[in-house]
Amino acid sequence: MASVYASGGIFALSLFFVIDAASFSRSNLNASDFHVTFVDWIPLICAVLGMLVINSIDKTRLGGDSFSYSGNGVAWKARLILFLGFALLAGGLAGSITVLVLKYVMRDVGWPTLWFGVAGVFGSAGVMASSTLLWVAQNMEDEYTYNLAL
Amino acid sequence: MALAGLKTIIALSFVLAIGFLLVILSAALWKNYLTLLVVLTYVVAPLPNWLCGRAANYDDFVDGGGAGVVDLGRFLTGFFVVTGIAMPALFAHCGLINSAAMVMSIIGGLLIYGTIISFTMFFQEEEEF
Repeated sequence: MASVYASGGIFALSLFFVIDAASFSRSNLNASDFHVTFVDWIPLICAVLGMLVINSIDKTRLGGDSFSYSGNGVAWKARLILFLGFALLAGGLAGSITVLVLKYVMRDVGWPTLWFGVAGVFGSAGVMASSTLLWVAQNMEDEYTYNLAL
Repeated sequence: MALAGLKTIIALSFVLAIGFLLVILSAALWKNYLTLLVVLTYVVAPLPNWLCGRAANYDDFVDGGGAGVVDLGRFLTGFFVVTGIAMPALFAHCGLINSAAMVMSIIGGLLIYGTIISFTMFFQEEEEF
């Protein structure tokens, strides 16, 4: 129960890292020529989409032993969609590291500007941690209600 | 909960007033009213929990499908609480507000949210079936 709250909190925190980088780039404190553009947002968007995909799968269908829905390959299809979601999530993290390296580290920028890339990495990693926490919590809760129903 | 007397109400209203005082001072001292957004965040924060709890009550024993809605409410509540802390920090980091205003608005917002939470804990009506 508490981990669902924590998951929402981590999600908000990771969103605010990227928003902070974007608004810092527009503020008066940014003395460099670098600005946060749409490229910096793409990894976060991928990670959030992956989180949506993962959490919209009904977890009882992953086991493959549910009789309620017809069709042979339901569990297989659900696992494919799940793989797609995890790939989006990991792709978001990898993409944010790519943006950090290619856009900021390779051009030898100093610290206040380097934060734009680091914030992107923190954001994607935070979305990943949040969805992992939510996944574990919901699986535990499902187990609990199952035992209760029996 | 046990009997919540008059003293609890008085103490809670004092804490709420101090919280509002801190947030309003943090806005008015520097003539920068961005920190008032914290109050909005913390007032909105308990709402998803209440709404989703009420929505899940109806079919709780029928098919157990209400757990997802309750989880969504908790997720959104956690989201708003952390937003209330992170937003002043963002403003201070980007030079929009003073850092003293940040500290005052965070403490004031936490006091307001704590008041709301403890009020619902003390004065929760017991459900009857």
